[in-house]
Amino acid sequence: MTGKTRKCFFGLKVDRQLDGDKMNRTFVDRVMTEGGEGVAIAACMQCGTCSGGCTNIDRMDLSPRTLVLMVQRGEWDKVLQSQSLWLCTSCYICTSRCPRGVRPSDVIEAVKAIAIRQGIENDSTRFNQIFVELIQKRGILFEPELMQKYGGISAMLEQAELGIKLALKGKMSPFPAKIQDPTTFSQALEKAAQS
Amino acid sequence: MKYSYYPGCSLHTTAKEFDMSTKVVMRELGIELEELQDWSCCGGSVAAGVSHDVGMAMAARNVALAQKQNLDLLASCSGCYNKSARAAKALENETEKQKITAILSDMGISISDSNIRVRNVVDVLANDLDLTSYIQRPLNGLKVACYYGCLLTRPADIAGWDSPIFPMSMDRLAQACGAEVVDFRSKTKCCGGPILVSKQEVAFELTKQLLDEAQSLGADCIVLACPLCATNLELRQPEIEKKYSVSYQLPILYITELIGLALGLKPGKLGLNKHIVSTQSVLAKLGI
Ligand code: SF4
Ligand code: SF4
Repeated sequence: MTGKTRKCFFGLKVDRQLDGDKMNRTFVDRVMTEGGEGVAIAACMQCGTCSGGCTNIDRMDLSPRTLVLMVQRGEWDKVLQSQSLWLCTSCYICTSRCPRGVRPSDVIEAVKAIAIRQGIENDSTRFNQIFVELIQKRGILFEPELMQKYGGISAMLEQAELGIKLALKGKMSPFPAKIQDPTTFSQALEKAAQS
Repeated sequence: MKYSYYPGCSLHTTAKEFDMSTKVVMRELGIELEELQDWSCCGGSVAAGVSHDVGMAMAARNVALAQKQNLDLLASCSGCYNKSARAAKALENETEKQKITAILSDMGISISDSNIRVRNVVDVLANDLDLTSYIQRPLNGLKVACYYGCLLTRPADIAGWDSPIFPMSMDRLAQACGAEVVDFRSKTKCCGGPILVSKQEVAFELTKQLLDEAQSLGADCIVLACPLCATNLELRQPEIEKKYSVSYQLPILYITELIGLALGLKPGKLGLNKHIVSTQSVLAKLGI
């Protein structure tokens, strides 16, 4: 590689080619460690099939295809700052369609976890963290608590009408359910999250 | 046939009718359910995106409990089903299995080699038996849109019993019940469930598109198998109507409720009176 930007065949820029020497193993490895062995980032051939079917592609700043490329290239900032992480609904359309078994949805899931650990903060990271925290607490999610912790009193009030309707139908209890031994459960998960 | 039944957080709260209808329909069809003892939340679509290991362990815990009961795990909720099946698959991988085993053993739970399968109620109803001989009250004249969403049949290496993009099992079940199934093109488009709270506007837009299509097809109701989809499509339907100045009043039924009606079971026993969007129009159409 010369480093100069010259055109290749068919007007493809050299830096758009899937050249192995642009790959940044550190980030790729980190994502693969987080996401498990199923995540096959290096296999991506940039066909764009994932982006073509993506639920929220028209709202994303990085398409799933570009996101995978940026992970390959080790573009930490671009990837971790991307709004796409929080617009992804984990719908698995990309993973179902990818002809190379890359599992973009799992790549994104792993990147989300890394972003949270890096200290990225927004409404989505806050919600996701509270969600997990509350499951850890009792083993069973108590939705009113989730709404209260995430949105405060105003969110509670906003949802009060629906909450009352649900309660009248016997579909919402004022008391949270829990598993037999929430303490051991939550300690084990706490330890797993630290490691 | 007997299963360990995993209701998950929603079926004891907002999706009570899914719990009720699953139980009575299964009993009617001669399938035994034994509730999974001390089950916990599967972590949904969120947990593994905060920590992969935590998410996998949350879901694997229920698989381990089903192993202990030595019964295939049956989940009605698509989300619980998907995450449990994903965990069961992860346990086939040595590295993942080691990590998960370590976390679960800290909880005092052990993983055995007992090979239990994780099933969804739609899979069992569509593929293990033939409903036709059980039908007591054919749902003639009822037009339904079957909505599969994301987690019921995707991805294929986790579900694999129906197409991830254009599944047909619920359509076939509804047809066996005598209902007319409309050609619902959005059947596997996402409703935005996991981002409903943090990105409400986006989720509302996605859900609105589904309601719009079902309405334009003249569907009397949408039929589904996911409480999170139902939260968007039913519980938030009035808000969506208000926000976009539209009117749907479209009943959202769980597939087990629809089947229960065709089996001749009483609507009250199936939980049809528990809905936020009234199901009266469906019952009226059927003359019940
Ligand atoms: S579909 Fe797969 S191979 Fe194609 S761009 Fe997306 S991740 Fe890469
Ligand atoms: S999982 Fe995320 S990236 Fe993949 S298609 Fe769905 S929304 Fe798009």
